[in-house]
Amino acid sequence: MGVCTSVGTQKISLAKVFNGPGDMPGSNIDYEIFVIRLRRVVLAGLVGAALACSGVVLQAILRNPLADPYILGISSGAGLGAIVAILSGISWTFWGGSAITAFAFTGSVATVWLVWFIGHFTGKSQVTSLLLAGVVVNAFFSAVIMFLTSIAKSEQLRWTVYWLMGSITDKEPLVLWISGVCITAGVVALFVVCYKLNALTLGDEQARGLGIDPAKTRLVAFGFAAFVTAIAVSLSGLIGFVGLIIPHGVRLVFGPDHRQLLPVSALIGGAFLVIADTLARTIFGQEQLPVGVITAIVGGPFFLVLLAKYSRRVSWLK
Amino acid sequence: MSSIEVKNLSFSYRLQSTFLRNVSFEVKQGAFLSIVGPNGAGKTTLLNLLCGLLMPKAGSIKIDAVHIESYSIKKLAQKVAVVRQEFVPVFDFTVTEVVSMARAPYLGTFGFESKDDRKTVAEALEMTETKQFASRPLAQLSGGERQRVFIARAIAADSPILLLDEPTNFLDLKHQVGIYDLLKVAQLEKNKTIVAVTHDINLAAQYCDETLLLGTNGNYSYGCPEDIFSPEQIEKVFGVSTFTGKVGREKFFIPLGKFAKDRGQIKKELHNS
Repeated sequence: MGVCTSVGTQKISLAKVFNGPGDMPGSNIDYEIFVIRLRRVVLAGLVGAALACSGVVLQAILRNPLADPYILGISSGAGLGAIVAILSGISWTFWGGSAITAFAFTGSVATVWLVWFIGHFTGKSQVTSLLLAGVVVNAFFSAVIMFLTSIAKSEQLRWTVYWLMGSITDKEPLVLWISGVCITAGVVALFVVCYKLNALTLGDEQARGLGIDPAKTRLVAFGFAAFVTAIAVSLSGLIGFVGLIIPHGVRLVFGPDHRQLLPVSALIGGAFLVIADTLARTIFGQEQLPVGVITAIVGGPFFLVLLAKYSRRVSWLK
Repeated sequence: MSSIEVKNLSFSYRLQSTFLRNVSFEVKQGAFLSIVGPNGAGKTTLLNLLCGLLMPKAGSIKIDAVHIESYSIKKLAQKVAVVRQEFVPVFDFTVTEVVSMARAPYLGTFGFESKDDRKTVAEALEMTETKQFASRPLAQLSGGERQRVFIARAIAADSPILLLDEPTNFLDLKHQVGIYDLLKVAQLEKNKTIVAVTHDINLAAQYCDETLLLGTNGNYSYGCPEDIFSPEQIEKVFGVSTFTGKVGREKFFIPLGKFAKDRGQIKKELHNS
């Protein structure tokens, strides 16, 4: 289903630009555009899949239906890395990736490690302390980001804001290949722990009783989820809501069994971001919107419906 | 053959005085043990020790003659299934999905159930009469139905030992008896060793082969329910006087409230008898 949608989207966008698909290689300018467009579609698909999977996993290990990939500070860490790269004006490239990508990746991985470290050594109730550590680190880094934004020059500022809103831009093929392999590997690794995540959502004691080591499962799941998120964020900036609404939508339709939820979310997440990116680049003609704006505009109302649904559920139980 | 063997077990939480002190008991394969005692006596703690969630400070626990420490989490789950106090999961799992989770310690790399696993799950649903709502989300069931589902899960785990923490909590009389009937069937038909923590002395006395009565001061008594449950013993441990009735081998305990309407009259009759 996800694959069909992504193909469909591609055809629509192609049809808009060309009079028929330019499929022959050579001096065909259509083909050049087609390749660029394809790279974007692939990137959007990868990022969407990574964010959706990461959202599924974090909601499971935090036992919190409102968790998203950024809840544990990955976003602020990546943002800080990116803004440092933008402000310092570093222009070297790294395996075909820009300095912003490399810095954002480093920043997010470092933050995730920091949050895990704080959460692990402060609280008895690991889930709560992990969440608190994430929120605190997030708030602190956001403040630093705001400080840096306030002293940035106008051109740098535009870049920063654009990055923070999240956008799919053309990337070198090498970057795509590396991140594609990494994200796929990460998603497959997460798929293997899916049946353990099912048990983990019932609580640590329950999971143990079902023969699953909660701490180990949480570490593995968190590690891989953070890894794929860090890659996605460093490629595309902070694209919000994909990691929240896709897992929820899929859970409503397919149920909470992670062995089904994770792969379906990956497909739908990828497809959703491909569509959102297509809208972002076509809706205003030449002027390209950051894709984060589209996902948030679609995601915002969805999130409200979700909140309404959950408050109703709480009242049922009472 | 003894299924659970506890020797000189002591346990305390950090910053607290020891509250399980030198506890020893033995449960034979296929026997039904009830653990009773006032709140805070360490009943649930003892259960957590028996399923490996907590480690003893002193003494030893053996499951099928092997020290509990030498089991991996997975292997222990194949020996011991636990039914904890009632709760509703965060996500909307259906009854079948919850019961299927019992097969987790037997699954392969990707964690999908085999045909045999599904058969075991279906049998457990059948036995506990939870099959009719197998596809409903857990949150939509009543407390009694939900408790049956968790017992179904414990049975689907195919483990020789079943531990239950207050399985009849919040249930009405019919469902209380229903749960105990179900446990008895599991004990007799599947030769399960059952250990249930409970507040219900009366049902425990009717259904169990052995009883462990834990007091708050670290004392305990262990033996068959006929010996353990006496009005004196219960008054001593719970600090409540009871009206005790007897029909054949069965004893019934009814607590006497301080402000009962005719407490004086009851006391007098108790004294006369």
